[in-house]
Amino acid sequence: MLHHADEILLALRRRVAAIEVQGAGRPAGRGLALGIGALDRMLGGGLALGALHEITPAAPSDFGAAVSFALALLARALAAEGAGESLSPAIRGRAVFLPPDPAAGQSLSPAIRGRAGSPPPPAAGQNQRNKFPLPRRDIHAGRAVLWIEPEAAEFEGGALYGPGLELLGLPLARVIGLRVAHERDGAWAMEEALRCRAIAAVVGEFAREKNTLDLTMLRRLALAAGEGGGLGLLLRHYACPLPSPAMTRSEIAAAPGARDAFGGLGRPAIVLSLVRNRRGPTGRWLLSWDCHERAFHSVPLSLDLAPAAAHGPPDAAPRVRTG
Amino acid sequence: MVKGALRIAAMNDAAARLGLTVGTALADARARHPALEVAPSDPAADQGLLEAIADWCDRYTPLAGIDAPAGVMLDVTGCTHLFGGEAALARDIVTRLAAQGLRARVGIADTPSCAWAVARYGVWADMPVIRGEPKGRSLTSKLAGTDSPSPLPGGERSRAQRAGEGGRTSTDGFEPPHPTPSVSTSPRRGEVEEATSAGSMYSGRAPASRNDEDRHVVIVPPGAMREALAPLPLAALRLDPETVAALADVGLNRIADVLDLPRATLAARFDASFLRRLDQALGREDEPITPKRPAPSYMAEQHFAEPIARERDVLGTIARLSIRLGYAMEARGEGARLIELALFRTDGKVHRLAVGAGAPVHEANRISRLFADRLAGLGEACDPGFGYDLVRLSAPVTERCAPVQTSLAADHGAADHAGELGHLVDRLGARFGLRRVTRLVPQDTHIPEFAVAAVPAHAHLACAASRLRGAAEVQAKAVPERDATEPATQDTLAPARPARLFARPERIEAIAEVPDGPPVRFRWRRVLHEVTAAEGPERIALEWWRDAAGSALTRDYFRIETRAGMRVWLYREGLYGRETDAPRWFLHGLFG
Repeated sequence: MLHHADEILLALRRRVAAIEVQGAGRPAGRGLALGIGALDRMLGGGLALGALHEITPAAPSDFGAAVSFALALLARALAAEGAGESLSPAIRGRAVFLPPDPAAGQSLSPAIRGRAGSPPPPAAGQNQRNKFPLPRRDIHAGRAVLWIEPEAAEFEGGALYGPGLELLGLPLARVIGLRVAHERDGAWAMEEALRCRAIAAVVGEFAREKNTLDLTMLRRLALAAGEGGGLGLLLRHYACPLPSPAMTRSEIAAAPGARDAFGGLGRPAIVLSLVRNRRGPTGRWLLSWDCHERAFHSVPLSLDLAPAAAHGPPDAAPRVRTG
Repeated sequence: MVKGALRIAAMNDAAARLGLTVGTALADARARHPALEVAPSDPAADQGLLEAIADWCDRYTPLAGIDAPAGVMLDVTGCTHLFGGEAALARDIVTRLAAQGLRARVGIADTPSCAWAVARYGVWADMPVIRGEPKGRSLTSKLAGTDSPSPLPGGERSRAQRAGEGGRTSTDGFEPPHPTPSVSTSPRRGEVEEATSAGSMYSGRAPASRNDEDRHVVIVPPGAMREALAPLPLAALRLDPETVAALADVGLNRIADVLDLPRATLAARFDASFLRRLDQALGREDEPITPKRPAPSYMAEQHFAEPIARERDVLGTIARLSIRLGYAMEARGEGARLIELALFRTDGKVHRLAVGAGAPVHEANRISRLFADRLAGLGEACDPGFGYDLVRLSAPVTERCAPVQTSLAADHGAADHAGELGHLVDRLGARFGLRRVTRLVPQDTHIPEFAVAAVPAHAHLACAASRLRGAAEVQAKAVPERDATEPATQDTLAPARPARLFARPERIEAIAEVPDGPPVRFRWRRVLHEVTAAEGPERIALEWWRDAAGSALTRDYFRIETRAGMRVWLYREGLYGRETDAPRWFLHGLFG
């Protein structure tokens, strides 16, 4: 009997230790799944919540792609909160009139096709409206996201534009923007926001080439994220080769997207290069973002993308980087 | 300049002893005393000093009003016991102002008018009068013996100022560098204070003895206004000079002379304001005072015998005060929307900081966190100098704040999230300014730049929170017209819009088909981009009805994908041939 009690005590101690390490008492390994099996497995169940993730554009002209990747992650984080139906009528109306994206139906990669229980792509038809009753746009229904942008970055890359955010699938009512004069203020605000449990994700933009975030500051941010349990995204305008406590580091490059049925611009596509991953191997994927489902899709490579394919097909076994 | 000559507007004691009077032409005064030191008068600076003194007087009572040109009126009803009684309060005022280089005269009485009169015209007794001995005061003695200026009929601007040896004088159109604040009164137990500047600031004058202080204080016991006013000249009733002259013509010089005259006679012969002034002084008619700033509903303060200067001490004090403030508000089911911190520096300067809250707040830790962030955001701007001897926390704007049941469960409910989010927004706002924390709200316009407005998140949250509580009146205040959380767009087919928009569209060089084809290639930021796909044009005409000059050109927007996959939003300004011959191209936004 005594032996049994010791075992229970030991198990309890382990659990307490695990909770203390985790900071906020959340079970380890919670992640924000990107919706692509191979990628999520590699990330250990998606982008880890309660951790920092770095996003940088591969080249200055890829900044828009990096921003939209961050926005897509926010949209997914909010969708995971249960805000799935709170898109504005404008967006859902768009789903009504657009024909289904041919890329979604014809050229699904095996990973997507094999995914069980994935919602079907929105069907064309007027009855779509009735299937989704008008959402109660109550910002208190769930958590919010905070986007911190330094004032100086506005000349470089523009400012967040509301209608565009909605088109990417992000409900505007739950986005809070903060403009800071100095980047160290941005770091302070990011730390405070990451601690707040009412914030699902924080994006901190850091525009200066010279690194204002030292290792101490980054460590503070990582700890704060662990405490609050939200997703911390560092959007750097310039790649920073220094070590950091971030869980992953992704380089985003724009890629030619799909065409829609009329030959216009279809879903946007990006090349995601996971250059650092603490939970597993790194790799490179070509993704497209579906703003209706709020999910990433893996895009099969076409001849146009031969350069990207040189690093290996998207669903093939990725390279493993050590260290 | 008065009547074509520079005249003396105010002077100090030394000058007064030389026999100069206010209104004397400067040339005459100089002829008599060539050594006069003259400084131009500066009414604006006088007013500034007076306002600073009124702010400083906030430490005694929240109801402090300015009584131009040289007085401050305080309502000390119910405040005096905090300082050890009326006499101690008055002595405290005189001593502290003397330390700042100002000589004050204080009168305390039941009515503002009476306090005003005794502060200026009253004669200070050797000892302060103790309450309960209404007749025990010799108000007429000591008039000539003091070194303070004798009462000057007609105005206060001529408080002499006592400077060094030179006999500084100032002339009209000119005023003393250390102006002459004075006077205050209050509705019931009023207090009048009058300060005359004593020498240059911090002139190293020996501290006034207690006896000296008492000579600057006149306290009229409750109900003894008649006796206190009787020996004073009629000018003490704040009458205009014509009335005073008319009264003097018929032999009425002192208030005692008119106290027992039949009212009907007085009303018939003199201005109606005369009787009103008399009634106000005697308490027969109410006289309100106008405080400089409205009195807050809740207030907590702490005095320090030894001034505090370290930030840690200030924050600790704020934490203690916010507990008291929070309890007081919680007890009445209210919370503060605006909280003000007043730091009274020993040298008389008052720092005031205010923080706003999106939702009513009464939790002590939240209040103190807000101020910690506010002070951190200020940095060095808040100079403690020689330290603060009084710290006050007040809540000028409060709202009903229904208690919310919080959940103990790990997954927090919507109410918890709302509260935490509101607090985060408040703190970010306290640190960076509430305008910087925004929420994007769609607007009813088709002009891309104005299609979304950044609304302060703090007002926005307040609106949503009040809806949660069902308090409709807050919503009406916070958001003027329609509910800002609802999108204004009515389109069902939303046009494509970029995720990032440049506030100023960037000029690009583009090669495009004439008249309205999409660009084939364009150069942006010195890089040439090849266009592989384009969508458009989406024609957006600007608001011609607001554009009187007719210079607004139509824009044709294109959604462009370059060979590298970059998607951008371009437009051509002007219709080729119809509006312009050389249309310019701009890049307006970035897509994902």
